[in-house]
Amino acid sequence: MAGLAAAFGSGAMTNSISEVEEAELFFITGTNTTAQHPLIGTRIINAKERGAKIILADPRKIQLADYADIHLRHNIGTDVALLNGIMNIIIEEDIYDREYVEERTENFDQLKAVVSRYTPRVVEQITGVRASDLEDAARAYATTEKAMLLYAMGITQHATGTDNVKTCANLAMLTGHVGRPSTGVNPLRGQNNVQGACDMGGLPNVFSGYQQVANEEVRKKFEEAWGVEKLDGKVGLTITKMMAAAQKGDLKALYIMGENPMLSDPDSSHIELALSNLDFLVVQDIFMSETARLADVVLPATSFAEKSGTYTNTERKVQIAHKAIDPLGSAKDDWEIICEVSRRSGYPMNYSSTRDILKEINELTPSYAGITYERLVKGYGLQWPCPTEEHPGTPYLHKGKFTKGLGSFLPCDFKPVSEVPDEEYDFLLTTGRVYYHFHTGTMTRRISILEREAPEPLVEINPDDARRLGIKNNDEVELISRRGSIKVKAEVTDRVPKRVVFSTFHFHEAPVNLLTNPVFDPVSGIPEYKGCAVRVRRCA
Amino acid sequence: MKILAKKDLVDVLKTWSDSYDVFAPSMKETGDVIFDRFDADTFTLDYGKPSLPQKSEFLPQSEILFELKKGEYREVMAGSGKMLFGMRACDVMGMRQAGSFMNRDVTDPYYKSKEEGILKVVMACSGPQNETCFCTTVGSGPFAETGFDLQLYDLGDEFLVEAESGRGKQLIANGPFGEVADAGVGTKIEEFKVDASKAVEEVPALREAMKRLRDGSVSEKVWDYFGRKCIVCGGCVFVCPTCTCFNVSDFETKPGEGLRVRSWDACLFGGFTREASGHNPRGNQALRLKRRHEHKLLYYNETDILEGLCGCVGCGRCSDYCPVHIGTLEVVKAIAED
Repeated sequence: MAGLAAAFGSGAMTNSISEVEEAELFFITGTNTTAQHPLIGTRIINAKERGAKIILADPRKIQLADYADIHLRHNIGTDVALLNGIMNIIIEEDIYDREYVEERTENFDQLKAVVSRYTPRVVEQITGVRASDLEDAARAYATTEKAMLLYAMGITQHATGTDNVKTCANLAMLTGHVGRPSTGVNPLRGQNNVQGACDMGGLPNVFSGYQQVANEEVRKKFEEAWGVEKLDGKVGLTITKMMAAAQKGDLKALYIMGENPMLSDPDSSHIELALSNLDFLVVQDIFMSETARLADVVLPATSFAEKSGTYTNTERKVQIAHKAIDPLGSAKDDWEIICEVSRRSGYPMNYSSTRDILKEINELTPSYAGITYERLVKGYGLQWPCPTEEHPGTPYLHKGKFTKGLGSFLPCDFKPVSEVPDEEYDFLLTTGRVYYHFHTGTMTRRISILEREAPEPLVEINPDDARRLGIKNNDEVELISRRGSIKVKAEVTDRVPKRVVFSTFHFHEAPVNLLTNPVFDPVSGIPEYKGCAVRVRRCA
Repeated sequence: MKILAKKDLVDVLKTWSDSYDVFAPSMKETGDVIFDRFDADTFTLDYGKPSLPQKSEFLPQSEILFELKKGEYREVMAGSGKMLFGMRACDVMGMRQAGSFMNRDVTDPYYKSKEEGILKVVMACSGPQNETCFCTTVGSGPFAETGFDLQLYDLGDEFLVEAESGRGKQLIANGPFGEVADAGVGTKIEEFKVDASKAVEEVPALREAMKRLRDGSVSEKVWDYFGRKCIVCGGCVFVCPTCTCFNVSDFETKPGEGLRVRSWDACLFGGFTREASGHNPRGNQALRLKRRHEHKLLYYNETDILEGLCGCVGCGRCSDYCPVHIGTLEVVKAIAED
């Protein structure tokens, strides 16, 4: 988010899902698309069957690897080096889009200086990717007109996540692949409304529509609209900083909605300490999650089926949903709970429905101004920016010029994962998800068929490593990091490369985040879920 | 056979709504048509192929079989006073095949109780509803031979109304339903049927595929190709009128209280055939797709398919909806052309 906003002026998918089918080449990295965004994955497969090419940069042999023309299995955490290496070749061979770079971007000289150090030979050393494969990938991406870059958390969940994103943006700008249909830089958001939550200001530094809290004029606008004085202009804390502050005793109270940091945050034994150290913890959720159990007050919220409102999906599309059933038990809509809490705290909020709230969003958020209730109920959603009621919405961003004017090359140097394997902890553990479960499983693990399909956590281990350690399929193994250990069953598979193990964070029985390393990207605060050092041992 | 002026249809539906819970095509604000409780304002005849078969009326996506409360079990059996207006012939055949399967050896009381209560009013198709219709190949349409209460033939300004059941006959005994005066009406119906059947294109690949499956001459490559791209969503199963596989699970609602629920399942999910040992006789997606299509085209039960050709009723929805184009039409073509 932060990386793309800095480069382009907007931190969202530049293009639309439907444009995927029309692309001629995909550069896919850090997204197991068929498993985590299956319907986008199917569009990639359909495009491939019609002749599109696929360059996959992923250490794991995911389903799309079967379709990849070039599979770059780079070492975990070497994304910046890999992408810099590709740019090095593109500049060296003079196949970059000179006109685009000159007219639409700034900082090219700096980029050139940085990537000049990443010659194919150097990159081969760092990433383990053959120079010839790198060259093939560079040429194909640079010379295909409709080349689309897709990424997800395999890019962002590193201590260098923002650098990784900036480097993706650099590559796309260098080749002129932003601002047209079926190209662009497309971060696939993992939840149906995570884009919407960011758009609505669910970040420490902005109001809705990314209007900065530090900006006095912006604050004034919101002060007037809300009839209050002196909105705080200070940037707040990210989740990871909140946890640290709670542990130190600087943060006294926390109100968590629909999050389960006890399973989802790294180094979870510290999370429990942090949450227990609070004076007051409120959790608003639809189920009694691991986190809710620690709360002083639990506020029961409604599930998707019980509420109305809008969701903003990964392609910036705002869609309306109507409730199918009335709320069960004492559950209330999130907005109603917030209004009640606010009223009792002395600031009455007078909304009677989500429609009222959307009206306020329209009034205060320029990019959502034309996305009105009346329009949404008559169609299939509108993509922001949509500044007026006559505006059709924006399928792809940065047409003609970037949101911020000139696109900025923000070159980065490669930094290895924070915890490099050594003799004692000789594997890299990378974490992710399986097809059948969502996040910490608070919902999906209650569904009997999903539970049947994926009842327990597994750790993927390469056959060579398994043989060396005497591990067979389904053997129980112990994963040990400097922070903790868990026991899981082994899946012996060449899906993972040697010296890498992969596991998932869905299961409270073996919470993989006991092991992960609590180091964070300095800008976004995202933890390094994708690489930490562990030891693997077969249980007797 | 009776006759009904088209302009009187909405009034008839209103009258029927007094006695039955009528479900009929309804045009929503977005332009989508779904089967919903009859509403004169949104009712439409311009609905083509219903987006889903009416399977969930008999086999709901999930249903409670019994509850445990205060130490006692209580069976939950729901009957239904529903009328489904505007069913298509392929879906009637699908429903009949599914009903035969569900009640063949042992009656499934949950299914049966719903099936018996429902009134089925069929709208005969005058031709294909979209490019994936192939009812004539499998003998399920474009009009229903049996299995309905009423069937309507659209002749322009009026409908000819055919009653099969006693309940159907009662429904059209009075009101605006007129006796057919015209002696040529028999010919008109025959013409309608012939023209409609001609308009639906035959799919010779289906018979060829069935033959090749019987001969055992289908290359595994066909299944590997489809297995590689399947994303295991189960959508083809859920939209299929003849797929009735279900899973049974128990839920604790409060300590000491609970529910037993059955819900739709799919043979395309790995866990469906995985054995307790961990061994899976259908160990990959290619084998699971093979199993599903063999079930429809080769290993169907002769009793259950009734007058149809096989266990597929040619509605074409799997081809309509599969995001990577693994529908029966694509599969039989791949087999026939292999």
